[in-house]
Amino acid sequence: MTIFLNLITIIMYFFFSKLNPDLTIFGISSSYLEFVFLGLCLQMIIGTTLATVCGSLYNEIVTGTWSTLLLNFNFLEYSIGNTLAGVSLSSVSVIIALLLASLFMGSFYVVSFQEILLILVLFLLILLSHMVISMLFTSFTIYYQKNSGLIPLLYQLTKTFTGVVFPIALLKGFPLFLSRILPLTYGLEALQAIALSETIDWKLILTNSGILVGMIIILGILSYFLVSWSIQNSKSNNKVDWY
Amino acid sequence: MSSKHTKQVIDQFSNSEISINFVNGFKATFIRNIRIIWQYKFSLLIGFVNTFTVASLFYYVANLVPNQLISQDNYIVSSIPFIFAGSMLVDISTRILMKSMNSFTSEIKQGTFETLATRPFGLKRYFLSEITFEVFYGLFFSLIYYIPVLLIFPIFQGIEVDVYSVLSFLLLIVFVFLFFFSLSLLAANITILVKRGREISMVIIGIIHLLSGSLFPLSLFPEWLRIIAYFSPMTLAVQAFRLCLFGGGTVGDFSVWMAIILLAVSSLIILLLFNVTYKKIYKRIRTKGTIHEY
Repeated sequence: MTIFLNLITIIMYFFFSKLNPDLTIFGISSSYLEFVFLGLCLQMIIGTTLATVCGSLYNEIVTGTWSTLLLNFNFLEYSIGNTLAGVSLSSVSVIIALLLASLFMGSFYVVSFQEILLILVLFLLILLSHMVISMLFTSFTIYYQKNSGLIPLLYQLTKTFTGVVFPIALLKGFPLFLSRILPLTYGLEALQAIALSETIDWKLILTNSGILVGMIIILGILSYFLVSWSIQNSKSNNKVDWY
Repeated sequence: MSSKHTKQVIDQFSNSEISINFVNGFKATFIRNIRIIWQYKFSLLIGFVNTFTVASLFYYVANLVPNQLISQDNYIVSSIPFIFAGSMLVDISTRILMKSMNSFTSEIKQGTFETLATRPFGLKRYFLSEITFEVFYGLFFSLIYYIPVLLIFPIFQGIEVDVYSVLSFLLLIVFVFLFFFSLSLLAANITILVKRGREISMVIIGIIHLLSGSLFPLSLFPEWLRIIAYFSPMTLAVQAFRLCLFGGGTVGDFSVWMAIILLAVSSLIILLLFNVTYKKIYKRIRTKGTIHEY
């Protein structure tokens, strides 16, 4: 079903691209289809990364496996393991969508080996930055034993304000501020600078990677602390097996 | 217990004197749902922000169209209201379907469906009252969410619509919601069999969004896909909706009356399908004992 829905989204923007949106006025030299394809593929994987840790833990609480899990629990291992599993599964659907789209809509993205390595590093940073956000929301889930419902909202904000389907140069005022506090904006900007430009803008890539690393460290420490505190609270109040 | 006794028990449940009438049952379902909604105040706030974000997405995407103009059915209009109108209609209608499916999935997941199925009120009546509630709920909250959004983005400012177009537009809307009411009933029926309500609604919504041309004029589709697209009643409905809003369309125009007839006929067929499949599905989940499964 995920493959089907991903394909529907790609096809929708494929037909929209036939209206010939001009991106050169925003300083982007690629076609709209190339631009949107990169964003959509990333968006699909990010959705899984954001939802995985928080969603899995909520399911553990609902199904009652959470109390057992606490006996031999390492939150960081749990987060990385679940995120990797989720991302691997969603990547399959993205790769199939990518192959089908390339087959029927024409192939694009000519990248060198060096650029592939850069893309992989950036991809990892984007995944980690969204994983720590999911960990942060997990602390809420552990503390209150319920889902905050904020992850779908954050995903919707990420889809809209990070330059997935339109360049962020269109944004002004508060939407621009919102865009600048979301990690995908920096990741996508750097990825576009690699995959859609003829020359690599090292300054932009290094700056954006630095911002992503900073976000991962700050949010990672904060989320780890909050999760530990929430677990402690659950244990001390004897509500581990509650729901 | 023999099958004869089982039948007697079921008959007793269905035709028992303690079985309440439809109006009282509907009232009880309504009050129950209102109480449930009140517990989710925060979710309502998130719902508004979500609607606002989706509207922003379509607003910015529409800005990318060259000259910001789109032509369809002999009228030319700014791409922003064109895309916004189509997407808004599809969003509100599909939200009804999504809400109905989520409601049924939650009942099954939490185990309350099993109890509801054995109440003297009757499962079929519960289906009708629950989906009716979800339709009104979806409409009411769509209005609450979209009114501030339309005030923030004055998208339809300057668009003049005469009285006949407004009346045709309202008539069309009624049939669109009737169509989604029947679709939700049928989808809910299938949900209790396959236990996958969210997935079913996601697939239907995805197909409707693509085929209705909410993001672009249908002339961009190749001929074969355009033919397929018109098999979805929402395609013509979106086209007629835009014609009433931007091209002065009324029920006298082919696409408007055709959309209304198509929606009415589709609704009728779906309701008949629901009626036919309901008995079979209910019997099957009872005999297989899967009513409590998720």
